[in-house]
Amino acid sequence: MSTHTEKFNYDDATVRKFVFATAVWGVVATLVGLWLALMLVMPQLNFGLAQLSFGRLRPLHTNAAIFAFAGNAIFAAIYYSSQRLLKTRMFSDALSKFHFWGWQAIIVAAALTLPFGITQSKEYAELEWPIDLAIVVVWVAFAVNFFGAIAKRRERHIYVAIWFYVATIVTVAILHIFNNLALPVSLFKSYGIYAGVQDAFMQWWYGHNAVAFFLTTPFLGLMYYFLPKAANRPVYSYRLSILHFWSLVFIYIWAGPHHLHYTALPEWASTLGMLFSVMLWMPSWGGMINGLMTLRGAWHKVSEDPVLKFFVVGITFYGMATFEGPLLSIKSVNALSHYTDWTIAHVHSGALGWNGFMTFGMLYYLTPRIFQTKLWSKKLAEVHFWVGTIGILLYIVAIYAAGVTQGLMWRAFDSTGRLAYPDFIETVVRILPMYWVRVLGGTLFMSGMFMALFNIIMTWRGRPERYEESSDEAAPLGAYTGPVTELVLPKHSTISDTGHRVIYFMAAKWHRVWERQPLKFTVWVAVAVIVASLFEVVPTFLIRSNIPTIASVKPYTPLELIGRDIYVAEGCYNCHSQMIRPIRSETERYGEYSKPGEFVYDHPFQWGSRRIGPDLHRVGGKYPYLWHVRHMQDPRSTTPQSIMPAYTWLFKDDLDYASIQPRVDAMAMLGVPYGQAVLHGESMARAQAKQISAEIVAQGGPSQLEAKKIIALIAYLQRLGTDIKKLPASDPAAKSTADNRGPQTNILSNSAPDKSAAEAF
Amino acid sequence: MKLSDVMSAMHMTIYAELPLLIFVGVFIGVALHLLQGPQHFEAMRSLPLDEKDSSEGRER
Repeated sequence: MSTHTEKFNYDDATVRKFVFATAVWGVVATLVGLWLALMLVMPQLNFGLAQLSFGRLRPLHTNAAIFAFAGNAIFAAIYYSSQRLLKTRMFSDALSKFHFWGWQAIIVAAALTLPFGITQSKEYAELEWPIDLAIVVVWVAFAVNFFGAIAKRRERHIYVAIWFYVATIVTVAILHIFNNLALPVSLFKSYGIYAGVQDAFMQWWYGHNAVAFFLTTPFLGLMYYFLPKAANRPVYSYRLSILHFWSLVFIYIWAGPHHLHYTALPEWASTLGMLFSVMLWMPSWGGMINGLMTLRGAWHKVSEDPVLKFFVVGITFYGMATFEGPLLSIKSVNALSHYTDWTIAHVHSGALGWNGFMTFGMLYYLTPRIFQTKLWSKKLAEVHFWVGTIGILLYIVAIYAAGVTQGLMWRAFDSTGRLAYPDFIETVVRILPMYWVRVLGGTLFMSGMFMALFNIIMTWRGRPERYEESSDEAAPLGAYTGPVTELVLPKHSTISDTGHRVIYFMAAKWHRVWERQPLKFTVWVAVAVIVASLFEVVPTFLIRSNIPTIASVKPYTPLELIGRDIYVAEGCYNCHSQMIRPIRSETERYGEYSKPGEFVYDHPFQWGSRRIGPDLHRVGGKYPYLWHVRHMQDPRSTTPQSIMPAYTWLFKDDLDYASIQPRVDAMAMLGVPYGQAVLHGESMARAQAKQISAEIVAQGGPSQLEAKKIIALIAYLQRLGTDIKKLPASDPAAKSTADNRGPQTNILSNSAPDKSAAEAF
Repeated sequence: MKLSDVMSAMHMTIYAELPLLIFVGVFIGVALHLLQGPQHFEAMRSLPLDEKDSSEGRER
């Protein structure tokens, strides 16, 4: 190693920008969240505007919270701590600037597209393909900047926080690319290449690991750096941190299928997801204990330091959320909790408690250092801590109560063996008081966010006229000259070769070598993630028995297809599932349970993850057309206590018939057997719309709807879940079933409504 | 013949158990490494506190 030292500066300007962005987007994310919470008790708060409806705004809230608030927070943490742990400035100031402004541009693009219904409808991956491509470009720039800094570091050993950042960068890239593979139809519309069960599997492989590798691993890196700094104590157990890291990387990636228990996902995948989720208890609690024990001997500081207060509560919430996560992944618990607000409470305990409070702790730690002045008000930070803590507790306690209430009411039977609450709306009305408590808790948490932003702005205003450069001094990294344990194999002995290899492995010096060799280390992280993913992905895609085909399941008609796209654009999946689980309370309420083969043409799947409203998978044919017209125009006219917004714009907006053909063509390219329909998509859609419109008029409804969006949406809803009811025409029982579905039956069949189109189909 | 034909005919009843074995193997490897004793990790655990960063203590 070289003996002379070099002096160098850190780039804190980028950190300052990310800190500001974190606070600003945090306010936006919580403000939208609060608005959504209010709309659940006062649905008229969308003021009749499509852009303010719950289904469109909810993805904006989740994206703002995850990628804008938490995203900017982890970038602030990574840029500040990596430079200091690696003893080098970031690789390129230009890349740092590009990363910051590119990421903000992506967030703005999300805010401009999601309220206009431009979405892929995959939770936390809603953004359409041009934005997805932009994310790839910015992420690559970030990765080059980060790994470039590692390459020119002056500290040989790579501290555990950096490992967590490496895992984040590598895994998020893999998840983002493979979950977003899509075929563009236009600039703002694409169809994912996966369908049905496989799409659901990929989505929750992504969705769960977005939690793991965007909201957990980088925040653990943050914890392992900022907590020892704030407490001025070394991490309690470095060995535990290593165990924590590898266990998380190896286990987390498998856990995604627990989001799909009792759905049409194959049983083996579901069980695998549950098994690995339960195993996550170990490393997660190891990490929490490591964090809290780092404060050993420094607990007296917690009472005086708001930074440590936020960290202690944040880490405690990490422990709570990672205890609850495995619990919820157990099938019998999940049967009760899934689709209820219990999941929402769990998510918010993690997001507000763990991500939020760790971020606030970091912000209050960084603010005086990067603005080179005292924090404007320590007292305000203390008030923020208490207001935020009470806000989270009010929020989650109310929503836990709402979730358990929902779950129990949905599955309750009376003494005669019938559903105790057959009207779904009863279960909605029962939890409205808890929704009000959530509004109160959310208001408190958002107030805290404003306090943080105000405190940061006021501290910034007290900055020196000119910032001093943050500098450090270290020796450059020469070639490694320390001890190396090499594997020496004896000649001509294959049996003892193996013995020597085992002894070499047991000595475990290899790990120390990896810790000095970031390239090898990164490759092994990638291998761990990819191998684990392939173990689940390959069988899901390639074993046919996972998704038995159903002969009567046919592609959507062109009108139904664009109606489905409207369903996607309006974000209906945010409140309604399309997945009836094989549980008696569900089949009693909704009908026949959902089969894997029913979704083979669903690009993307629409199973949803929550039931603010009832499941819709068997809604086709359940009500006449006119009921749907009335319901969409004013939900309270059909269900007096409904909290669904009115979709009046669907009655005013023209249906874009010209865009139908490209949609059908794209579906055909994805393997949907449209046959000759690819030549007659528009005419078939017009013919079906005319027929439905005539039915509506015949039932006493309004005329002139065939050119409007509502007609396509109703066509889609009336088709839902009806294919498996179609038995061979010679079967008299089948005819009887079909007849009971009302006059729309002929429209719901896959025969095209006019003869020429039917022949073409 | 497609890849899915091959996969479907393989009757892979052990694919759920294989990852568990892999995980256990890696876990044992990491655990062995950690058995070296705390003194091997003493320098590493203090890395965040070793900085001579001029911004430290610069609150005014």
